[in-house]
Amino acid sequence: MIRAPRWYPYLMLGPAIAIMLLVVFLPLLYNIWLSFRNMSLAHFMDHSFVGLRQYALVLGDPVFYVMLGKSIVWTAVNLLFHALVGVSLALLLHGPVRGKAWFRALLVLPWAMPQYISALTWRGMFNAEYGAINLVLRQWFHLPGIPWQTDPFWAFVAPILVNIWLGFPFIMVVTLGGLSAIPVALYEAADLDGASWWQKFRNVTWPQLLPVLSPALILGTVWTFNNLNVIWLVSQGGQPGDRTHILVTYIYKVAFSYSRYSYAAAFSVVVLILLSIFLLFAMRKIAPAEAR
Amino acid sequence: MMRRVHAPVPAAVAFVVLLVTSVLVPLLSGCAPRRGSADGPIVVWVQMDPDEKARFDRNLEAWRAAHPDEKVDVLTFDTENLRQQFQTQAAAGAGPDLVFGPSDQVGPLSLVRLLRPLDTTLPAGFFDRFVPASLDTLDGHLWQAPDQLGNHLMLLYNRKLVPVPPTTHAELVATGRRLTARAGKPDATYGFVLNTSEPYWLAPYLGGFGGWVLDGSRKPTLDTPAMVAALRYLKSLRDEAGIMPREADYQVAETLFKEGRAAMIVNGPWAIGGYRSAGIDLGVAPLPRLPNGNWPQPMIASKGYSISVNVPEAKLPRVVELVTYLTGDEAQRRDVAKLGFFPSSAAAFGDSSLLADPVLAGAREALGRGRRMPVVPEMRVVWDAMRPNLQDVMNGAKTPEHAAADMQATATAQITALAE
Repeated sequence: MIRAPRWYPYLMLGPAIAIMLLVVFLPLLYNIWLSFRNMSLAHFMDHSFVGLRQYALVLGDPVFYVMLGKSIVWTAVNLLFHALVGVSLALLLHGPVRGKAWFRALLVLPWAMPQYISALTWRGMFNAEYGAINLVLRQWFHLPGIPWQTDPFWAFVAPILVNIWLGFPFIMVVTLGGLSAIPVALYEAADLDGASWWQKFRNVTWPQLLPVLSPALILGTVWTFNNLNVIWLVSQGGQPGDRTHILVTYIYKVAFSYSRYSYAAAFSVVVLILLSIFLLFAMRKIAPAEAR
Repeated sequence: MMRRVHAPVPAAVAFVVLLVTSVLVPLLSGCAPRRGSADGPIVVWVQMDPDEKARFDRNLEAWRAAHPDEKVDVLTFDTENLRQQFQTQAAAGAGPDLVFGPSDQVGPLSLVRLLRPLDTTLPAGFFDRFVPASLDTLDGHLWQAPDQLGNHLMLLYNRKLVPVPPTTHAELVATGRRLTARAGKPDATYGFVLNTSEPYWLAPYLGGFGGWVLDGSRKPTLDTPAMVAALRYLKSLRDEAGIMPREADYQVAETLFKEGRAAMIVNGPWAIGGYRSAGIDLGVAPLPRLPNGNWPQPMIASKGYSISVNVPEAKLPRVVELVTYLTGDEAQRRDVAKLGFFPSSAAAFGDSSLLADPVLAGAREALGRGRRMPVVPEMRVVWDAMRPNLQDVMNGAKTPEHAAADMQATATAQITALAE
């Protein structure tokens, strides 16, 4: 066996580490540094150290807790439907379906489209008077139109619908990959034992899928929690009346509309801590069995 | 279990440090401030509509013909990005020499001391040839050399449907009702549309009822009887007069008018070109008087050039020469009739040939009813405080009184936060 020199792995890792330092850790450190200062429009060039003041402002503002609640609802509802729709479609597609390749391509389409194009198209469809959705509701189902853009509740439902539509293909593709890796012998054995469809799903498919699915769901949680584009574009920056924000869109608004850079930095450090706690917990709880 | 291999840590650390510095140093030196270099191209960042940009390009061509050795680099941004990018770059000592945009971007930029005060940078008497209404003084200085004046809301009407524009509230309602049919149905037609989701469209009515957004000391004045009256008026045009669609943002209003399904729209001069090319037989007039007999007061604003603090003294004369040309009479007159806004140069503004076109004459009359939009940084907060509350009044979630009080509370709190 050929043995590489001891420093060889570091040489190989070097470029990746350097890039990570540059584009992740340095900005992160800068962000943390900024969160202890008072950089804003009034103190743009002459900001100074203010200790934990920005953190006190963030945690003392009821807005933070409202946004946190909304972020959790946003993430949970999205993930639930991503998993439900994605896994169901994958199970259907995995079976003997005619034109499987076509369906697969069609269903991956939402994922392949640039997010902002989808989001803006959906925004048009949500228009109360002339949008496709309300026209269908009114003309085909004789239901009253829904105030998608003016009622705070529906204005929050709208981006959730869009994000579900955008997100299920990822879970579907991952599940399809997982399904094709399950040995057929397991199903044959289950058939010999006379297992029903549900028993096979419960005892063969699901446990075999979990190691593939759980990292995808953990990733999905972080992505969804931090998803700025969809909610920002569909609600046009939090409309109506800044009532469709989640934490990240609110941070964006505070930083780039009001130039309250240090406050926004403290806000994002808090979000980072929350997500890190979640990740540590989630990795330990649902990591693949062999890693335990 | 796998045997762990322990590498000599110091060597690895040294290696990473070496690698990082070898990547970092060239990178950082690449974006280091170019402060002090007198030669090199003049860099201009602009926010312009397509027609405006076409005019700018023709002006630049003329300038280059007269200055064959000069190189000018132009980069286009949208309004928000222009401000953000300039703020970030200029603070780091880099960024463009000239920045062109709406007058209200000056508020945040000068506050952070990123612009040169133009009254002391440009030659004495430079601003004498401008229409006074096109100039803004902030903290005792002028920060922008305008090349246009306008941006005011006015009544644009389809002359096929409205031969004579209404000038009073009663006429507006009568004409509007005559032309509104099947309201709420997909094939409805409306007499009157306006973007009810943006507070810029509320401002003329606020002014007409005797109020305004800020007082002389830059404190918000939103919780006033005038604001309550303006909110109630806008809502009553829809709910009582019944001449407007239930919900209309900019896009909806624009589409209805372009398709000939709305007879009158409230919009700015920037929309004139688009309506004409959509085949609308267009007329323009000031917004009709309010029930109290006053004219609504649309906000007026200019756009123009500001000079970055980072322009070195040695380069300044070249930059000043370019600004002088771009805001000069020749450049301002070029294609101005096509653009829908008015020149800020007094000579060009007073040119009667501009008023030969009835649409421009109407726009000019509407301009005369306007009032300058404040350029102070507090305006951004004021808009954000007004927007949700205006929307809440229109969708019935708040009474005008409640909304006015909330606007004031939000604006006051946010202005305090801005100063943190």
